[in-house]
Amino acid sequence: MNKARVGLLVAAALLAAPLTASAQPKKKDPPKEINLDEEEQPAAGTTGADGAGDATTPVDDGTGDGDGDAGGLGDICKIDPAACPSINMDEAAKRAINAEMYAVQQIYALRRFRFEINPYFGLTMNDQFVAHNGPGLALNFYVNNVMAVGVNGNFYAGLNAPSNFNFQTSRAARVGIPITEYAWNANANFTYVPAYGKFAGFGDFIFHYDLYVLGGVGAIASRPIAVVDPDNRTFEYKPRLSFHVGGGLRIFLNRWFAVVAELSDYIFFDELENPTIVTGRDTDGIPFAQKSNTWTAEQTSFTNNVQAQVGFSVFLPFSWEYRLPK
Amino acid sequence: MMRRFVNNLCASRLPQLRRGMFAVLAGCTALVATASAEAQEIQLTGPLAGAPAVRQLRLHRKGRVEIALGSSFTLLDEYQRTILPGLRVSWHPTDWLGFGVWGAYGISTTTSLADELQAKAIDSRACTAPAPDDVSPCKLTAVNLTRPGINGSTGRLVDDQLGQIQFVAAPQINVVPFRGKLSLFGALTADTDISFFGGLAIVGVQERKACGSGDNATACSNSFELESGIRLAPTFGLGWNFYPRQLEFFGFGAEWRAMPFSRNTSGFDNAGFGNDQAFPDTAVDEKDRQFRFNSMITVNLLFSFPHRVKVSE
Repeated sequence: MNKARVGLLVAAALLAAPLTASAQPKKKDPPKEINLDEEEQPAAGTTGADGAGDATTPVDDGTGDGDGDAGGLGDICKIDPAACPSINMDEAAKRAINAEMYAVQQIYALRRFRFEINPYFGLTMNDQFVAHNGPGLALNFYVNNVMAVGVNGNFYAGLNAPSNFNFQTSRAARVGIPITEYAWNANANFTYVPAYGKFAGFGDFIFHYDLYVLGGVGAIASRPIAVVDPDNRTFEYKPRLSFHVGGGLRIFLNRWFAVVAELSDYIFFDELENPTIVTGRDTDGIPFAQKSNTWTAEQTSFTNNVQAQVGFSVFLPFSWEYRLPK
Repeated sequence: MMRRFVNNLCASRLPQLRRGMFAVLAGCTALVATASAEAQEIQLTGPLAGAPAVRQLRLHRKGRVEIALGSSFTLLDEYQRTILPGLRVSWHPTDWLGFGVWGAYGISTTTSLADELQAKAIDSRACTAPAPDDVSPCKLTAVNLTRPGINGSTGRLVDDQLGQIQFVAAPQINVVPFRGKLSLFGALTADTDISFFGGLAIVGVQERKACGSGDNATACSNSFELESGIRLAPTFGLGWNFYPRQLEFFGFGAEWRAMPFSRNTSGFDNAGFGNDQAFPDTAVDEKDRQFRFNSMITVNLLFSFPHRVKVSE
């Protein structure tokens, strides 16, 4: 019987704490889910500044004139009456305030000292004759919040696709149009993030984005596709100096994952097939048409390989500490 | 966690407290129920509870008429680029929904490919009509490449056979689901929005006049002239607009637009015979039209009336 009492007592003791919690007053509003990503809840008066609307117009004045402030001041006065501040609140309220407000109060996804891993797929934008679509990868390290150094590379080998348009134009006009294909390219880049902001979607949720531009230098391996004299000509890939300029939009789905759309231009001087077939033979009796030094055009062609790159970015480390509170 | 603790506690006590089993069971039942109730209470609302995502939103569109002066530039052109200066007038009953009409007039310029073809395939060959039998390229291209002197043709691709867009008129619906703001260089700010639009485009096109098919048709080797027509096509796209804080009536933006429909941009005989009609049939007609997205980029200057912008609660 004593054990039964003990059991009841234990159960009653365990019941006591939860019952205290459930004794909190009921809210009129239905319960809302807690946003685990929102670690700090700002004061009631600052809610307006976090919206996507006018950041300089908070909803409330945010002075926090509730019991909390009075209680805190009172505690200081009790401990050390000499240190108790005597502030004329009316006069203080009239004081001119040069408040520094930012369009985005606390950058949602800081980039400083973080690595960005950005796999993507590139689509040709300006070559109707041969599509140079292929996967790519960009790796960046942000030395501060707006600048990064990194590398990127594209893989095209086996994915170059001469178009129907190329075939039809050649057939209809009886002309050979020199075309080329690429194997890969690689670039060292410098990235700058001049703009960032946030959007409210359907007036209901907020997502953050940034815009970036980049420039770099690297190499691209290309070769002509034999069109004029495919019986004799075969070409090897050769790396060529290339320059890279581009810009993109990054939309953050959380603090370390973003979808990315970028437009990049890889600029280089490409080697084209010689449109004429050299006749005759050399002193050894070998036709000039079979000698590789007659296969390419004398002049290189200034080429822009513009491609749209769509992918995603993962930022490492996943989390960080803000230097200042929100 | 609480539920697991309670279950462990109950499991360990039961063998020892047989007499108190019912009491413990009753307590455990109450605990489990209470623990569940506490889990509900964890979903407490914070200061942002019930607050809208955005307050004091500047309503750049609601109840306003927007006039967009702009110019469109076609993308991925093969033979002719088209610049379309135009005007879009929209009315938005709400900040996220609007109705409008876009109209533009097309001005075409040739691409380097068209220039190369003109120089190498027409001018340098100097083919005559009728095509001489002993000049192979002239005979093989008689259906596809113009020559001067054939029924008034000029011998220029752009005048005789290249297709182009002449004008567009498109009623459309605008939806603006995304509103935001932008900080540029950490100093300049602007309100922004992303809009999606869709509608029906009435497109005036010019193409090579049909030839070579039908009983009384002219042979294509003797017919190089352009003909105008109207096409209906869906049109859709998205735009990104910016509204500087200081100017309530002014903004600027860019759009990407597509108008997918089939047309013959080259005036060539590309299809109509053989498997899948993928081979030339010596006739130029609707079979030679090819599906194209006809995409373009537009830059706009936006003027809104009345000039004062409203602000949400």
